[in-house]
Amino acid sequence: MKKTLLILTRNPLSLLGLILVTIIVLAAVFADFITPFPEHVGAVVDFTNFNQPPHWPNIFGTDLVGRDLFTRVVYAYRVSLILAAVVLIIAVPIGVAIGLAAGYLGGWTEYVLMRITDIFLSIPPLVLAMSIMGLLEPTLTNGMIAVTAMWWPWYTRLVYSITRSEREEGYVLAAEVIGASKLHIMFREILPNCVPSIVTKMTLDFGFVILIASSLSFLGLGVQPPTPDLGSMVADGAKYLPDSWWLTVFPGLAILIAVFGFNLIGDALREILGGDQ
Amino acid sequence: MSAILELNGVSKEFAVNGRRTKAVDNVSFAVEKGECLAIVGESGSGKSTIANMILGIYGTTAGTIAFAGEPLPERREKRHRRAIQLVQQNPLSSLNPRRTVGASLRLALDVHEIGPKAERAARIGALLQEVGLEPDYARRSPAALSGGQRQRVAIARALACESELVVLDEPTSALDVLVQARVLRLLAELKAKRGLTYVFITHDLSVVRNIADRVAVFERGRLIEIGTTEALFSSPTQDYTRRLISAVPVVSDEEAAMRQHIMGDQA
Amino acid sequence: MSAPTLKIENLKLGFKLWSGMVEVLHGISLHIGKGERVALVGESGSGKSVTARIVLGMLQEISTARISGSLNFEGIDLDKLKPRDRHHLRGTRMSMIFQDPTSSLNPVYPIFTQFREVLARANPAIGEAEARMKAIAALADVSINEPERVLDSYAFQLSGGMNQRVMIAMALANNPSLLLADEPGTALDVTVQAQTLKLMSDLVEQHGTSVLFISHNLGVVREFADRVYVIYKGRIVEQATTKQLFSDPQHPYTRALLSAVPRITGGGIPDIAEDTAGFLDPLIAHPGASEKERLA
Repeated sequence: MKKTLLILTRNPLSLLGLILVTIIVLAAVFADFITPFPEHVGAVVDFTNFNQPPHWPNIFGTDLVGRDLFTRVVYAYRVSLILAAVVLIIAVPIGVAIGLAAGYLGGWTEYVLMRITDIFLSIPPLVLAMSIMGLLEPTLTNGMIAVTAMWWPWYTRLVYSITRSEREEGYVLAAEVIGASKLHIMFREILPNCVPSIVTKMTLDFGFVILIASSLSFLGLGVQPPTPDLGSMVADGAKYLPDSWWLTVFPGLAILIAVFGFNLIGDALREILGGDQ
Repeated sequence: MSAILELNGVSKEFAVNGRRTKAVDNVSFAVEKGECLAIVGESGSGKSTIANMILGIYGTTAGTIAFAGEPLPERREKRHRRAIQLVQQNPLSSLNPRRTVGASLRLALDVHEIGPKAERAARIGALLQEVGLEPDYARRSPAALSGGQRQRVAIARALACESELVVLDEPTSALDVLVQARVLRLLAELKAKRGLTYVFITHDLSVVRNIADRVAVFERGRLIEIGTTEALFSSPTQDYTRRLISAVPVVSDEEAAMRQHIMGDQA
Repeated sequence: MSAPTLKIENLKLGFKLWSGMVEVLHGISLHIGKGERVALVGESGSGKSVTARIVLGMLQEISTARISGSLNFEGIDLDKLKPRDRHHLRGTRMSMIFQDPTSSLNPVYPIFTQFREVLARANPAIGEAEARMKAIAALADVSINEPERVLDSYAFQLSGGMNQRVMIAMALANNPSLLLADEPGTALDVTVQAQTLKLMSDLVEQHGTSVLFISHNLGVVREFADRVYVIYKGRIVEQATTKQLFSDPQHPYTRALLSAVPRITGGGIPDIAEDTAGFLDPLIAHPGASEKERLA
């Protein structure tokens, strides 16, 4: 772990990724202290100072009801990061467990589990999420459910393909000959060999989950006002382009930087840990 | 002498592209307690299939395998797994790269509940010493070990559950010749000390000559010749055995003369 | 006297890694006369395979590799050649046979397509019919009974021994003056290995091809080579004719290696001391070895 971090800081690109992600995470955690107008997260209206381009103290400008855009972008990061974390914390264990079981147990288990996975994978992700969101109330929780539902099959595929090749390795045979349980072989012998690939994919996905969640809110299906969300901020501001450019540019840049940062780290991890599938 | 392992009319068929092929064809032989029986043959001879059936990795299509006078069931019980262990050819893949040497050894102790939990760490240290490694190797990862050291760990793992019969599947063919000699010596010492029985699967007849008590020669799934090492090498009865012996690359004139002699017998 | 087919002088190889330089070859010198079969024998990691790769010019492309010393091929200094000319030597004047024949052949093309490519390296204008004729003749030379059928097959449809023969036929198709054989036949069954070695031996004798034979197997070396260099940790420790080396090994490392080989005549498993003290002793050259290499 320590060594990985050390190597990350050696390459200029991965170092940049590390810096970007660190700034984003710190900003999201300490949003209450670093933003000038924390109360602007809610339904605040200030018609004396609305739709203003960047100026002091509103360095990103203000929105159509006079709220500080910088404050709202930082808080939106917090929402995005929580959403991405929760989605991955739920989706990854489900996907991994199914992938391990299908890859190691084989036979009917493999057939049934992988066909279910294929069905999920065959539906375009955004369509799947939109239909779930259409059925349910468009709340943050339901947004997470929707994104989770479309995310786990990718981990199943990844872990399944690694497990299929690992189960041919001598150490699996050795554990079987000793008489170790199937659970032990799946979770204690094979799983550790999947971890590098899983960690790499999770890092890359952190950016993509933020992106897809933003897409959903851009379509009006995500986080609802007044909770700040990068996707809906871009969507709302798009109507006022190009005159009120700051309404879209800053939230848009925020999405870009987050996705970019996580991708840089993910790519570097893939090289360091060798977890490429 | 009593037979510890007995194969009786054992066959194994596999379906390849919908066609059934016989990998092992009506094979019967017994392994005496405390002996080293070499199973010799080239690819396609069925020697690995026999190893896998002894270990219970696959069942037999026909025939029975008995251990210590008792037929082995298709689904092996824990005590059977404990008694019959394996050392594989490739020490690179036979140890889990993501687990320490200690964890790999501990698995056998945990599964078979050998010794009180508190004493297992000490037992792992003792096992490592028995195969000529320092006890602190338990903390190392397999990547930090040489090929020979890894093979020693694999041997320690096979002995950890106090096994009686060890199937050695080409245990030294991936090793350099100096390392091979040391590992073979270790295997011979352990056999004497622990009263082990070996089924030694290999294609290398010069190794067989120096470690096996008896040799079984396989060709295309059939057992074609079985006898003491001495007899088999001095007067092989089968043409195929003669060809196998004469194909061994040798390093001295004395050996070359012996090969010549064996091929000469054919006429 | 004409120049030797291959002359390597004071060849050094290192890799520049994060942790610093890793020295692989510490200055090795060897030569192969015309039509001579020379073995380079050593354990894994001794540097024997990288030597062959340097001769072919395959390691020079790696950015971390640091190579020094001179390579002389039929009187030509290889390092003075333009990369294009040097590349052109591969597959024409010098060729290589690898350990695992099946994976060295491309599974998506039939044998003929690959054979034709090899022939086209020496003669780019070669026509379909001529290539086929030459390929058939080359396969017949390696005792393949149905060359037509083999040419239209894919590598995975043939046995390992058959693929090895195809590889040998391809390697000799352009009548190279130097053949680099890296552990040929190690992946094959012993009886097949013995046959292919015999075949290769006969063919190179017919063609007058010089061979650098790389192996860890002393028995195979004894059967194939005229002369032997023993390599240990990137240094040549002993060189002699095959007869001298096997009847009277001098260097502590060579002695240890030879004594570690189990004998088919019996005698038990050799007891090898853990002591490796003498293994790095200076080179021992038997009488008749070239002066320069004795000093190296």
